[in-house]
Amino acid sequence: MLKYGLAYGLLSSRRRAREMLLPAITIATGAFLVVIVFATSAGVRKQAAGLGHTDEIGHAIVLIAVTVLLVGVVEAAVATTRTIVGRTRELGVLGATGVRSRPVLVALLVEPFVTALVGALGGAVIAAVVGTVLGATGAAASGVSAGGTVTGALIAVAVSLVAAVVTSVVPVWRAVNRPPVKSLSSN
Amino acid sequence: MTVTEPASESVAPSGAPVVKVTDTWKLHKLGDEIVRALVNVSLEVHRGEFVCLMGPSGSGKSTLLNIIGGLDRPTKGTVGIAGQDTSRITESQFAALRHDSIGYIFQSYNLIPFLSAVENVELPLMFEPYDRRALRQRAIDLLNLVGLGHRLDHQPAKMSGGEQQRTAIARSLISNPTLILADEPTANLDHRTGEVVVQTLRDLCSKLGVTVVASTHDPAVAEQASRVVRMKDGQIQAE
Repeated sequence: MLKYGLAYGLLSSRRRAREMLLPAITIATGAFLVVIVFATSAGVRKQAAGLGHTDEIGHAIVLIAVTVLLVGVVEAAVATTRTIVGRTRELGVLGATGVRSRPVLVALLVEPFVTALVGALGGAVIAAVVGTVLGATGAAASGVSAGGTVTGALIAVAVSLVAAVVTSVVPVWRAVNRPPVKSLSSN
Repeated sequence: MTVTEPASESVAPSGAPVVKVTDTWKLHKLGDEIVRALVNVSLEVHRGEFVCLMGPSGSGKSTLLNIIGGLDRPTKGTVGIAGQDTSRITESQFAALRHDSIGYIFQSYNLIPFLSAVENVELPLMFEPYDRRALRQRAIDLLNLVGLGHRLDHQPAKMSGGEQQRTAIARSLISNPTLILADEPTANLDHRTGEVVVQTLRDLCSKLGVTVVASTHDPAVAEQASRVVRMKDGQIQAE
């Protein structure tokens, strides 16, 4: 039955593409920042070594990277939670018509997953293009590394997906396991 | 099209009421106040009956329907569906019971906005391993039954209130339920469409032995019922 939940989730993602745009942009913003920080960090470290402050600047870069990652996680969580809350009534209808909870869980997790994937990939691609342009024009004094860009993109996509799914599972699971009237009466 | 025999007929032992509500209370907390939505309600509904719950707004009709259908749980008392005591079953088990035996018609339709009419009708069985072509054909047949054969691919936003309600009725019939719970099924329909809806429900009772419990303000619906139960302040006043 889970494959039917998946099919419903993909159908709803296709039909609700417009509603997914804003959450995807939010996630893309976080992914963009993560990729830019990782892409420029190698160059900044090299410059720091030349100035004799390798450790301090290295720590600062790690702090910035962690902060940006956390921002990305929060943005992904807020975006997906908003999506799930907006579909609470639909959860109630599915429950009221007797659809079992497991396929509903799968169905409702597809959209956050797709939103996070599209948003994170979009943000990472834009960051890679911007980084390449900045590196080619010399606008980024520290330079932009291809390795850092790829690492940043992988981390951004992985973190966005995990954050989106983890923060969606709990509200969906709670919603499908309570009396449907509570979901149906939600606005 | 003809409506097929309820698939889950065997779940109701012969002679046992399809619905048995016993000494049931429902209390809501509203701020510091306790609202008594249902007060010691008992009701039996037998196979093939068309029972109308009548009463003013806030009399407990919708609450009683919600509790019978397991959309809400009673504070106290028991509800039996087809001989099964539902007070001891989990949400998941109740969902399975609704899936197999209960069709629900909401006053506000509750169609899924991004699905077409035919997909909305298929919804309760969309997550099951049914033959997709057969399911689609059955959904089309049901939409034809309620006069919406020309609206198969329309989404709810592009349908009138009456059309949405008829789509919701078709959805409630997709799994051949033994019990249909209808919350103000004609409230948003014009008189003629309302008559068609009531006649459809009546036919389900008389020809197929489906049990219908409907809440309504509409005397025309009550006239068609085999029994009228009047409610006030959460209590059953008279039958």
